[in-house]
Amino acid sequence: MSSLNHHYPILLIAIPILVAALTIMLRSRPKLQTGLSVLASFSVVLISSLLLMKVWNSGIQVYEVGEWGKYGIILVADLLSASIVVLSSGVSFLSLIYSLDYIKKRSLSTYHPLFNLLVAGLHGSFLTGDIFNLFVFFEVLLLSSCGLVVALEKDGITKSSDKLEATFKYLILNILGAALMLIAVASLYATTGTLNMADISVKLSAMQAAGTLPWHVFAIGLLFIVVFGNKAAIFPLHYWLPDVHPTAPSPISAMLSGVLIKVGVYGMLRIFFFVFRDVLGMFQPIIIILALFTIGIGAASAVAQTDVKRLLAYSSVSQIGYVFLGIGFGSLGAIAASLVYMFNHAIAKSLLFLTSGGIIHHAGTRDMNKMGGMVNSSPFMAVAFLIGAMSIAGLPPMGGFISKFVLFDAGIIGKYYTEIAIALLFAIFSMFYMFRAWLLMFWGEKRDVKAYGEYSEHGSSPLVYLPIVFLAFMVLALGVYSEPLLSLAQATAAQILDPQAYIEAVLTRVVR
Amino acid sequence: MTTVITKMITRICLPLVILFSISLLLAGHNNPGGGFIGGVMFASIVALSYVVYGLEEIKKSFSPDWGKWFGFGLVLAACTGFAALPFGHNFFRSAVEILDIPLIGEIEMVSAALFDIGVYFVVIGSLLSIFQMVGEDK
Repeated sequence: MSSLNHHYPILLIAIPILVAALTIMLRSRPKLQTGLSVLASFSVVLISSLLLMKVWNSGIQVYEVGEWGKYGIILVADLLSASIVVLSSGVSFLSLIYSLDYIKKRSLSTYHPLFNLLVAGLHGSFLTGDIFNLFVFFEVLLLSSCGLVVALEKDGITKSSDKLEATFKYLILNILGAALMLIAVASLYATTGTLNMADISVKLSAMQAAGTLPWHVFAIGLLFIVVFGNKAAIFPLHYWLPDVHPTAPSPISAMLSGVLIKVGVYGMLRIFFFVFRDVLGMFQPIIIILALFTIGIGAASAVAQTDVKRLLAYSSVSQIGYVFLGIGFGSLGAIAASLVYMFNHAIAKSLLFLTSGGIIHHAGTRDMNKMGGMVNSSPFMAVAFLIGAMSIAGLPPMGGFISKFVLFDAGIIGKYYTEIAIALLFAIFSMFYMFRAWLLMFWGEKRDVKAYGEYSEHGSSPLVYLPIVFLAFMVLALGVYSEPLLSLAQATAAQILDPQAYIEAVLTRVVR
Repeated sequence: MTTVITKMITRICLPLVILFSISLLLAGHNNPGGGFIGGVMFASIVALSYVVYGLEEIKKSFSPDWGKWFGFGLVLAACTGFAALPFGHNFFRSAVEILDIPLIGEIEMVSAALFDIGVYFVVIGSLLSIFQMVGEDK
């Protein structure tokens, strides 16, 4: 009997699916449902950490589902997949804890199955080594996240009609994106005759070397930019995000902004540096230009917002631009920098969204102009929001400072002076909008006394405080002691740029 | 939609279609057919009888919680995947057993068929719970 640690990759997908099924059956027993969901989420965090350790110590792990060899469906855990799975399972565990108190009891019975399916979809798309399964898991996470966006909060500040409108946009745009992705995958299959990503990569490289690369491979590459750009909300496909992320309940906003838009980044890294590794040169300028527009438009729009969650959503758009800037530079240092950026942004933005949920609850409104002086009534939220805001603005000693530092450093080494100058200008914007938000909400006098009348005792639950404390601690820890993350990112970037180990691990298999 | 002709034809079709959907389901793992189309067929005949006889009328005699069917199917499908682990195999590894039953002949028992049955219930449950929810209009 093979030991259990061989099965880690599939357990990360199968446990959430099984628990989703069981929680559907247990809809009339909310206590049992909650316990099962939390237990599964916690065990997934443990398994993902063990998987990362295993990948770090003994190289890339390949898992054949159904034992059909390289011709079947395989799951591959390299450093990129394993580390991003740790991130997503951690954020989803904290969001789940937070939502136990935050989501309305009536919504919670449907919330648990959908949440578990979302986690399964995320982990599936990070771990699969098969491009068609990437598409399938994209659909799983899209549909389950649509259901989660309309879940009701306890106070019901966001109207259901707004939620439905936002979900409609999200659903339609992402289904269009999925259709484009299906076309791209089908064209790749028609070109290379395989869906295994390692196999596609080898075949495209061979075609490139032999000079028989068909022209439509470039069209496929552009289609993938559109698909992943839509998922990650980069310019000009960013406009759905500022509607969807604010209307979702706060823990789901944290999941969407923290992890879900990173799926696009992951797909970009996987497809362009692995599948299209020898034809990448052409796409780099496109990615850089789109990234710069994303940074600029996100930051400039965020400055003018009065709704706190909308501001955070625009900030997410701007920040994801920085990640794509690093991907566009394409050097070892730049990719490592964009990975560090991705991690720090995920943690800081989840912290900010969870905190904003508490703030909105406290104030009874999402409009920052009606808040003010809350530093006296909720000092905890003030400190937590300040930590997150400092990280997004890139001030030491927070994680955001380290990530901006390594990114700009890599850009200057690569002699991208103009690009770095533009990025730096909008980094100042981000400092301005984050502190403007903090000052409007916490400093000064109470502006709207009536809003405070609806103060609810629910903000004091430890289920709400604990995830925020943990995330705030992580933001600080990654800023003060960032060495482990930096070395992990360096090793991951080295693996991304030299995919030979991945290809060997996948393609040298015995077929049953 | 509630003429005598449609009512009568629905009544005749109901058992035939259900039996055919089950035969499609059981053929599915290595012949044309499968849990998905079998489930769609089952769901469509139930949906037809909802339309012809009216939702309230059918619910008086036959009113299962379709959401539970969905959950049961997903549990069954997931458990089929997990069942390979205790035998030291990878997830979803299927097993084949050929049984020789007197008078009936050889029957091929495939564990993938259990997964297909799970899919069957998932499809029926999801389609009909949506259909019922939209039809109830509350």
